[in-house]
Amino acid sequence: MLLKIAWRNLLRNSGRTLLTVLGAACALLTFVMLRTVVSSWNSGAEYAAKDRLGTRHKVSFVIQLPKKYVDDIRAVPGVKQATWANWFGARDPRQPNEFFANMAVDAPSFLEVMDELVLPDDQKKAWLEDKKGAIVGDALAKKLGVKVGDKITLEGSIYPGDWEFNIRGIYTASRRSLDRSQFLFHWSYMNDSLPEARRDEIGWVMIRVSNVAQSAQIAQSIDRVFEERDTQTVTMSERQLQASFMAMFSALLKALDIVSVIILAIMMMVLGNTIAMGVRERTREYGVLRAIGFSPWHIRSFVLGEAAVLGLFAGVAGIGLAYPVVDRGLGQWLEENMGGWFPYFRVEPSTMVTTVVIAIGLSALASLLPVLQAGRISVTDALRRVG
Amino acid sequence: MSDSDVKEPEATTEDGDAKGDARDNESPAPKGDAPGEGAKADAAKADAAKDSAKSDAPPKSGPYRPTPGKPLIEMSNVTKTFHKGKEPLTVLDGLTLTIAEGAFEALMGPSGSGKSTLLNLIAGLDRPTSGTARVAGHNLEKMSDGELAKFRAQNIGFIFQAYNLLPVLTAVENVELPLLLTKVPSGERRKRAETALRVVGLSDRMGHYPRQLSGGQEQRVAIARAIVNDPTILVCDEPTGDLDRKSADDILALLTKLNQDFKKTILMVTHDPSAAERATTTRHLNKGRLD
Ligand SMILES: Nc1ncnc2c1ncn2[C@@H]1O[C@H](COP(=O)(O)OP(=O)(O)OP(=O)(O)O)[C@@H](O)[C@H]1O
Ligand SMILES: [Mg+2]
Repeated sequence: MLLKIAWRNLLRNSGRTLLTVLGAACALLTFVMLRTVVSSWNSGAEYAAKDRLGTRHKVSFVIQLPKKYVDDIRAVPGVKQATWANWFGARDPRQPNEFFANMAVDAPSFLEVMDELVLPDDQKKAWLEDKKGAIVGDALAKKLGVKVGDKITLEGSIYPGDWEFNIRGIYTASRRSLDRSQFLFHWSYMNDSLPEARRDEIGWVMIRVSNVAQSAQIAQSIDRVFEERDTQTVTMSERQLQASFMAMFSALLKALDIVSVIILAIMMMVLGNTIAMGVRERTREYGVLRAIGFSPWHIRSFVLGEAAVLGLFAGVAGIGLAYPVVDRGLGQWLEENMGGWFPYFRVEPSTMVTTVVIAIGLSALASLLPVLQAGRISVTDALRRVG
Repeated sequence: MSDSDVKEPEATTEDGDAKGDARDNESPAPKGDAPGEGAKADAAKADAAKDSAKSDAPPKSGPYRPTPGKPLIEMSNVTKTFHKGKEPLTVLDGLTLTIAEGAFEALMGPSGSGKSTLLNLIAGLDRPTSGTARVAGHNLEKMSDGELAKFRAQNIGFIFQAYNLLPVLTAVENVELPLLLTKVPSGERRKRAETALRVVGLSDRMGHYPRQLSGGQEQRVAIARAIVNDPTILVCDEPTGDLDRKSADDILALLTKLNQDFKKTILMVTHDPSAAERATTTRHLNKGRLD
């Protein structure tokens, strides 16, 4: 009965309730989007393969390692296979604004370490046999509009010049740990074309271990090998490696977090205002209820119940808005076009639950002041009020 | 709302009752049904008494048990001063008043003379600044807000000039409201609310919202709400102030019936001399004192 009253009171001014719910839902939509950006960003690290380590220069990603380190790493007990890659950083001159990851890799070992890469056998064979051969992820192939057999010229920046490639395969991934929008080609093709002084340098090493439980010790042993050399390394799990890469953007993420909080504060004010208006309008009714014998606690729970119902609506409406926008629209676009950053741009179920809980909680919080006011209503004054 | 909706309450009662309870009975005797109503309400009263006997309510709250020889309402030397604005405003000044159980009293007086203030004190909505207010065995001036709320729930039925029904609830839901404060189970609540609505002659308007009712009907719903808990005292502040003559007469007839058949003590503030005529006693309040 009490819930019925809260419910009907909300319907009574359905126009205002609708506007409030919509306003709060828009705020929640923005909140969900920001949260999804943050969580999707972090999920890049979360989807990382557990049995893989990465070794990079101790100081920075940007500084390269000698290629012979790969053999040293392969010699470390517990290392099943190691491969290496260089960030190539070239662009497609036809679509200079399309950014995509392109890397020089050692194809045979790369395919062993990245065992979630799915490539038809004939395409694999063709790639391995063609020095200028390259493979692209299916998401990127769609974006660049290339198919197997095409020729493509990329414009180098880190490695200047025009680089010609033959598309030999289009890969997919059996797990999310592999970005499906990469452009991969033979490291030897790049290396052989470089001037003597720049040869045999690699960006980082990717390692597959035989026993996940020992990965921490293996990482330590690898770094110990290079401790006394000119160039020291740091080895970490793929997850940490990606996280350290993303840490560069932590300031941005923090900003997004702050914006999320501000948006929630705005939503709270919208809800609080509606609740407060309701209480003001219903002062006389609350006075009547008090006269009949209802206690201030009853009145408070009336208002609180109304706020909770309003919050529930706002939360559900917010998700109702966010789901199509994020999952169907923006998310698909981002996954296809910026899969490297947002491998999985979807509203997580946990985000949905959190959103509804937050909406109800904040609505209740926003109603605190009106709730206190409603509890303090003087019965005689409320009844004297005309209207 | 046609005129026929607002006819003599008793007549409507019988009508509604015939439809509700004696549908299969081809010739319900209208006269015979009226006592049936009384019997039902008496049963409700007995139930309430049983409830309270079980819970063994402490004397501070709980339904009224009359003390022989003691009046129901005893206000003695009551003063009420308001402190809003700069100067204190003394509305009631050493007022003394006793009302016996079963009385139907009208309270008249010019606007601002303190009628509503006095009514609020008797009903336990407010406490006197000084003096004692003894109502239905309770010393109201000594009670806390919570105790007063309980006192009101158990002893007082309110009827206001502006009806004051909750617009979001139907007639029967409005009448059920006071029962939410009791231990009465929900099915029984609905039954009692329907009985109360039948008493006021609105058995055919149970599912209507206040905005779908005429003023007179709204006030009858308010009266049903006031009596559903079987209170000792009905407190009415200008119950007919917003009604036309015909509806007002219906309401007054209903109050008379409640006083005579159901033995409710009624205290009614009114500006209407013909309303006051219905009461057994009329008192006049002037400048905070009774003449
Ligand atoms: N809560 C209050 N605070 C301040 N002043 C009050 C309060 N309640 C009543 N008064 C004042 O007390 C006086 C008496 O008010 P009351 O409502 O009792 O008059 P009344 O006899 O019922 O008048 P009416 O016939 O117009 O209803 C008025 O001057 C009013 O302004
Ligand atoms: Mg008055």
